[in-house]
Amino acid sequence: MKKINVLGLITFFVLVLVNLPFLVIIPSSFTAAGYLGFPPEGFSWQWYEMILDRPEFIDSLWFSLKLATVTAILATLIGTLAAFALSKYKFRGSGIINALMLSPLTVPSLIIGISALLFFTRIGIAGTFTGLLLAHMLISIPYVVRLVLTGLSSFDYTLEKAGYMLGAHPFRVFWDITLPLLRPAIVSGMIFSFLTSFDNVTVSLFLVAPDTTTLPLAIFTYMQETLDPLVASISSVVILLSLVFIVLLEKVYGLERLFGLNSQSH
Amino acid sequence: MSKRLSVTLLTAPAMILLLGVFIIPMLMMLLLSFQDENQAFSLHNYLLFVQDPYYLEVLWRTIRVSLWTVLASLLLGFPVAMYMAQATGKMRGIVTMLILAPHLISVVIRNFGWVVVLGEKGWINETLISLGLIDQPLRLLYNELGIVIGLTDSFIAYMVLAIATSLYAIDPSLNKAASILGASRVRTFFSVTLPLCLPGIIAGTTLVFSLSMSAFVTPALMGGTSVKVMPVIAYEQIMATLNWPLGAALAFLLLGSTILLVTLYTKLIETKRYKEVFAS
Repeated sequence: MKKINVLGLITFFVLVLVNLPFLVIIPSSFTAAGYLGFPPEGFSWQWYEMILDRPEFIDSLWFSLKLATVTAILATLIGTLAAFALSKYKFRGSGIINALMLSPLTVPSLIIGISALLFFTRIGIAGTFTGLLLAHMLISIPYVVRLVLTGLSSFDYTLEKAGYMLGAHPFRVFWDITLPLLRPAIVSGMIFSFLTSFDNVTVSLFLVAPDTTTLPLAIFTYMQETLDPLVASISSVVILLSLVFIVLLEKVYGLERLFGLNSQSH
Repeated sequence: MSKRLSVTLLTAPAMILLLGVFIIPMLMMLLLSFQDENQAFSLHNYLLFVQDPYYLEVLWRTIRVSLWTVLASLLLGFPVAMYMAQATGKMRGIVTMLILAPHLISVVIRNFGWVVVLGEKGWINETLISLGLIDQPLRLLYNELGIVIGLTDSFIAYMVLAIATSLYAIDPSLNKAASILGASRVRTFFSVTLPLCLPGIIAGTTLVFSLSMSAFVTPALMGGTSVKVMPVIAYEQIMATLNWPLGAALAFLLLGSTILLVTLYTKLIETKRYKEVFAS
């Protein structure tokens, strides 16, 4: 049993390490001092009240939420349709289309960001909401396609057939049989797209304009100039918000399954 | 509706997006990287890179930092994967959750946490000074060490998952057979477990290496202004110097060298394996 204890000890150490950033950020956001430090001194809400005086953070939070929501809805819609085509019909070139759909995952975000900037500048949508939205959809769609394809691979088509035989309209079959059975895959695709968009920095970096900045980028820029407890309080808000979605994802699909898929596609 | 029409309609939105936001822009970027000051086709940017020791040093630093990250995440991640493979349902679930959940929260925020821990007035330095172990703060940030710590934190989950997946697939009766045949635990590990989870190790190491090579945010925040890696100088050429062709070339050189190194690595391991096959 001694071996397991050593493994357990190392595992505990690693788990503390990867969660350490959050374990220090949240307490240090409640510091009563005027500077950043851990352990924090005293307790106060002052750095949360400070957020209200910084319109750039509030604005970028709303902007990020809006962007992530629209990205999640559109990417899920488009990705699900494509996954249906790939799973349901055997056609020439389906292998190529499948590989193409997943390819944005294998290319570094840096290259996606730079190339999108080049093209968007040419067609005049660099620095706009539309530009960011398109780029975020591009990096979210592979996850949706993959998740829905996995869902469809174990899909029992005889259930659809039964629906048709009982005289149901194709839309009725889709709505009452197909969709409910695939709901976990589709919903987790949507949540994962939301998180991908909400937390993205490297692609957005090239595509934002001063008045269309996402929250992680606003924090990134602020951090390069100043390090004060304000970053901690804003970060705590983001951590809390992300946690809600992570718990949802775990409940709907299971993180382990999700990542099994994630690492294969890289 | 005919099959062809259905397929076209269903895949069209995704394909248009892929073409418009990914394939065409990438081709444009590739063409741009071959442009000189007079917008004529030339190898100028690529030659500049090869001839300038500064760029070669940056590339070498990027590779070095990535290799350290691979080593650190392998050494720390392997025991975690072993533990997960041995743990029962509930415990495995908790460990999985705790190692994966942080991965879904913004990398900027994780790096910020590390700054609080590792900074000159950070938790570690303050603790060590108050214990009287050191009198000058240690430099744990804004150097290569800082980048490696940040990258390991970012990518260790991929390593753990890749190795754990291959460990889960090992038939437990093999271990039993080895011990019945009198093999010690160490012997069993090296003759049974390790060879069987080699695909997981290869997948994990190549994945962490590729991700580390192209990481931008962590090196920018935890490496500081003097310790730059390829993605950071590519970014600067694009956004600060506005030398887009050079920035594009740097990004492709980075991608090219990553692919080259990963291919060499997998080839090397494969030939080694074949050698073993021939020897036996």
